[in-house]
Amino acid sequence: MRQSPPLWTRSTLSSNAIWADTHNELPVASSDAGHRQLTTGVLPLFSRQNLSTRRILLAWLLVTPVVLWRLLTSVYPFLRTFYISFFDNSPVRRTFDFVGLDNYMALTRDANVDATLTFTLFFTVTSVALQVVLGLAIAELLNQRFKMRNFTRAVNLLPWAMAPIVIATAARWIFHQDYGLINDIIWRLSGERPLWLVNFTTARFAVTITDVWKNTAFLSVIFLSGLQGIPLELYEAAKIDGADGVRSYWYVTLPLLMPLIISMMIFTAIFRVLTFEIVYALTNGGPGTATSLLSYLVYLEGFRVLNFGYASAIAMLLFFIVLVVGVVGYGFLRRAWERL
Amino acid sequence: MNTQLNLKRGIRTTLFTLMVILFMIVILLPIYYIFLTAFAPSGKLFTVPLTYVPRSLAIARFQDIFGALPIARYMLNSTLLATFSTILALTVSLLAAYAIARLNFPGANLVMVGLLASSMLPGTATVIPLFQMYQTLNLMDTLHGLLILYGSALLPITTWVLVSFLRQVPVEIEDAAKVDGASFFPLLWRIVLPVIRPGIATMFLINFIIGWNEFFTPLIFARGAGVKVITMALSEAQVIGARSEFDVSWGNMSAVAILTTIPVFIITLIFQRQIVEGITSGVFK
Repeated sequence: MRQSPPLWTRSTLSSNAIWADTHNELPVASSDAGHRQLTTGVLPLFSRQNLSTRRILLAWLLVTPVVLWRLLTSVYPFLRTFYISFFDNSPVRRTFDFVGLDNYMALTRDANVDATLTFTLFFTVTSVALQVVLGLAIAELLNQRFKMRNFTRAVNLLPWAMAPIVIATAARWIFHQDYGLINDIIWRLSGERPLWLVNFTTARFAVTITDVWKNTAFLSVIFLSGLQGIPLELYEAAKIDGADGVRSYWYVTLPLLMPLIISMMIFTAIFRVLTFEIVYALTNGGPGTATSLLSYLVYLEGFRVLNFGYASAIAMLLFFIVLVVGVVGYGFLRRAWERL
Repeated sequence: MNTQLNLKRGIRTTLFTLMVILFMIVILLPIYYIFLTAFAPSGKLFTVPLTYVPRSLAIARFQDIFGALPIARYMLNSTLLATFSTILALTVSLLAAYAIARLNFPGANLVMVGLLASSMLPGTATVIPLFQMYQTLNLMDTLHGLLILYGSALLPITTWVLVSFLRQVPVEIEDAAKVDGASFFPLLWRIVLPVIRPGIATMFLINFIIGWNEFFTPLIFARGAGVKVITMALSEAQVIGARSEFDVSWGNMSAVAILTTIPVFIITLIFQRQIVEGITSGVFK
């Protein structure tokens, strides 16, 4: 962590400029030594506390817009969601009645919630696993030297740059039974035309594949950057010890990348739980509720059924899951750091 | 011996090249397929097996969607929202990032962690109260109402990345300026801004792409044609001239997909390095 500029405390209170230094001071090099000297002896006229109060005031003034903006558009609405989740609140029936834990009790009896949690688990685990493995492989690929490497790296970023809703909507066409790209390839290879979005299992894989196609680029970019941070000497040392190729990857690369891999897994898992667009546009949560995710359920319950109270309870469940993923993941991350 | 080594190396290079080609196909073929669909002459869309090399291209679908939907207006709205939310978010994030990276004040870490935590609050866990607030405050269906939400989503990561960029820049120049009596805003404008210009540019590109791609927020808060954005035209284009619920125009959908994607592709292909730097600096430093 960087220290704040040492010269800061040298500021005087003259004029409207908070740090306009008086010019008759000793010219002091910007170093910690100078800092200490100044704040302890050279400027006894100004109490250190007074100066740092102004600095702190300025600092809070500067962070206020960001903090206020986030408080009003994120933190407050979130707390309000928690509050609404204890009410029967519907703009259609014009109700706002306190019902205690009724909405949460209803959650436990809701078959849609059950189905949604099942798919959330499947989707999160499968997608994160695929993204991490493929992300590592692509990072390794893009780390090699070859012609058109820069172009390949740019192509890798294209799915990342595309709007999720575009990919999700287009995926519906790409998975089309008769005229879709995927079934054309499968049909040429095997003569079959699977009904991707009609069967439970295949619909789940269609959602997962689409998500992996879109989001692996992000992970691969980060893993590539991690690979580039590993000093070459370590590989040379491993080579002397007889570890080459796969073994040096296993014994040098992976352990060093592990904290990064785990932290990205937490991050990726959280965003899988929050996924909305792919399910909204590709499957509508179907067939039935086979590919329903919590964000989509909140949307349906809140903005189609217009049942704000119950939708808020689902949103709190979503938040709780994100929290659990974060906390458990953080535990793994700490263990990985300790092992390093 | 030597030929054996060469052979081994040859096989390895070939395998590697094949993997690169496979990777390129997996990424590019679906995009090419949407391109084909958008430009397919009507009647040539539904063929079994697919023809991957078209004999002719048609722009009829683009004429259709521009005729039936206010596409230009949608694209203008997307551009305005993406641009101004980016500028606003960068401005306030820069102020906050400067305070966090340079002013060493109690609570700096709290602000950083708070921002990160608030970015993990699911958008769906805040949308219902926001919807109610927006109705009471008459912010529904307004561009400035959307701007507030677009900007808000960008703040945490922008602040984080700018802090990390600032921490990489030596403070000596700023100190010298302070000795010369520069006051705050001139210092920020003339000294700090030029040194972290790469960081600002990077975050501008990334935030513009995020804003351009936004869908959930306008889905809930933009219902009038005057404030709708291009990502919402996908589903609208599908039902132009539809005779039934199942009569989906994949060609029109693909045309909108192409229009939505071209700007972000141009940005990505030109500024690949900067974008990668932005993505990684948010994670590493």
